[in-house]
Amino acid sequence: MRSPDAGSRRLLFGKERRELASSRAWLVLLVLLGPLVGHAFITAVESYAEVSGAGGGPAALAQGVSPLDGIVVPTFGAYAIAVTLLFPFVAIRLVSSEKQSGALKLLLQARPSLGTMLLVKLIVLVAAWLLAWLPGLAALALWRAYGGHLAAPEIATVLTGHLLRATLTCAIAIAAAALTDNAATAAVVTLAVTLGTWALDFVAQVHGGLALALDAYTPESALRTFESGELRLSLVLVTLVLTAGALLLAWVWLPPSRTRRQHILWTLPIIVGTGVFVFGAAQLRQSWDLSEDRRNSFAPADERALSTVRQPLHISVFLAPEDPRLADLQRGVFKKLRRTIHDVDISYQGAGSGLFARPGEHYGEVWYALGAQRAMNRSTTEPIILETIYGLAGISPPANDPVSAYSGHPLAVSPRGAALIFYLGWPTLVIALWWLTRRPRTAKTS
Amino acid sequence: MLNVHFLTKRFGDYWALRGASFSIRSGEVLGLVGPNGSGKTTLLECLSGLLPLDGGHVRSDEPLIPRTGRDVLFYMPDGIVPWPDQSVAWALRFSAALHGATPAEVAEVELALGLGPLGPQRIGTLSKGQRKRMLIALALLTPQPLILLDEPFDGLDLRQVRDIGPWFRRVAETGRTLLLSVHQLHDAARVCDRLVLLSDGRVVGEGTLDELRIRAGLPDADVEEVFLALT
Repeated sequence: MRSPDAGSRRLLFGKERRELASSRAWLVLLVLLGPLVGHAFITAVESYAEVSGAGGGPAALAQGVSPLDGIVVPTFGAYAIAVTLLFPFVAIRLVSSEKQSGALKLLLQARPSLGTMLLVKLIVLVAAWLLAWLPGLAALALWRAYGGHLAAPEIATVLTGHLLRATLTCAIAIAAAALTDNAATAAVVTLAVTLGTWALDFVAQVHGGLALALDAYTPESALRTFESGELRLSLVLVTLVLTAGALLLAWVWLPPSRTRRQHILWTLPIIVGTGVFVFGAAQLRQSWDLSEDRRNSFAPADERALSTVRQPLHISVFLAPEDPRLADLQRGVFKKLRRTIHDVDISYQGAGSGLFARPGEHYGEVWYALGAQRAMNRSTTEPIILETIYGLAGISPPANDPVSAYSGHPLAVSPRGAALIFYLGWPTLVIALWWLTRRPRTAKTS
Repeated sequence: MLNVHFLTKRFGDYWALRGASFSIRSGEVLGLVGPNGSGKTTLLECLSGLLPLDGGHVRSDEPLIPRTGRDVLFYMPDGIVPWPDQSVAWALRFSAALHGATPAEVAEVELALGLGPLGPQRIGTLSKGQRKRMLIALALLTPQPLILLDEPFDGLDLRQVRDIGPWFRRVAETGRTLLLSVHQLHDAARVCDRLVLLSDGRVVGEGTLDELRIRAGLPDADVEEVFLALT
């Protein structure tokens, strides 16, 4: 027998589904996703064909060409735009409309708790986002139909990143709608949060330091990590903690029955608690490299050798945040070191190399310290840096495994049929379905 | 059923309620009467727990409201347009299912309020009177023993007011209690068993119309004259 609570939850799910289906913001999002995804996919397939040698380009380019970078990431890049600029409005509408229409006052007097209501809204919005993936998944299916290669673990990682980002966006939008009086203000607050993360991204690139550490957990940066095929536990947990924190804020601010004092008294512990949990989650080093070309990992022999290093590895980098050598180091070496060595601490010492700043005498140096041993080199090349670390650890460099290098999956095809599907078929289908479910049934009677 | 003691509510420097006290008896239709701005809606929202009180309390057989208010009373605000994109039939079905009302109860309320023909119509397209009837229906599909209705006659035509009045009495005869906020004095006098007169956030009179006449010293006066004498 179904419990009353289960019945109430089922009713709430049905209500949210209906409200979402009747939302024009949701309709616009679904319609626009067709051309957005279509354009991204068509451009990606054409570029992939060029790199694969379709235009008579250098044959060497085709080696190592990866569908993850060439097709999956750019195609789903359309969703990064949609989740930033369109999806928040769908989420805000689901809360603000009930607040402004008075429906919230009725629901707050019903049996289901406010927490249940908010959770149901979040689940329905996330489910809606999964439905919005249909054009993206159709694009991947088309790619397969063209004879293209796809690696399931890579796709799963990219989709996990997009799903987490959408979940956090929903929670922030719900919190903004709860905190503000109307949908317009909530939209401004949500976009301000997004702009804030972009500003942090910019500051991190220019100044490094704490901003760089925080920037790793912004939705943009987190997505970039997932798009590289790395599934990082800390990013998953931090995103989920932030989502929970935003929902708790909504729970505090949504009911009109709470006083200003209660708002403040309950908001502070939520912010502090979220901060503590985020800090704790950020300390976790567990991560999985699910990319087909193992771009986030050292060679297996090197990984085995480096995993025997038990002492903390301290790295001091004398490079400005905007120096391209630093980006090479971070992407090519530091990221892999963090995944392999238990305790890696990297400090950046090179700020102040701006337009009018004079670089210090150590500028360009990278110091590696393991226990009492220290060594410096200026290289950004993986084998040279590994040699330095092996030397500090007193380990003999391992012999290379006789594994075959990633050979890539070149494919020179034209995106036939894609324009018709995404520019015409998908928008027509969405509008037709919306019209069928929304057409007026009776005229006003009095 | 409930005793309301010295409720106060302030919005900034403005006192909307200045120590309102009255009682609600089980099974009665009680009219909360007062001019616009007298604090009727604020009083109902405070009773329902939708607005925090600044002072005073409400006693019942149960512990304090608003902590248990959800089990004791249901408040239907005035002027709301809940779920404007959904149909009337859906709203009734949803509300009934959420509050555990039976299909027979839904049919009865639909019939009494003449909502049958409006079933497929979207709530956002209803006229003011149609919407008011739907809101009354939603309120009466809840299980709480006390229903607070804010301006239930606002938007209804004369015939509808005359039809709904006796029906409210029949609802009260089943043991439920209705607290109606009304600014039209004659409607209140026609429908309600007792009246609470509210003026400037204070209760200036409580009782049947005859009791209020005696209190005002106007034994033959109509409700308007009584109200003017007491406020």
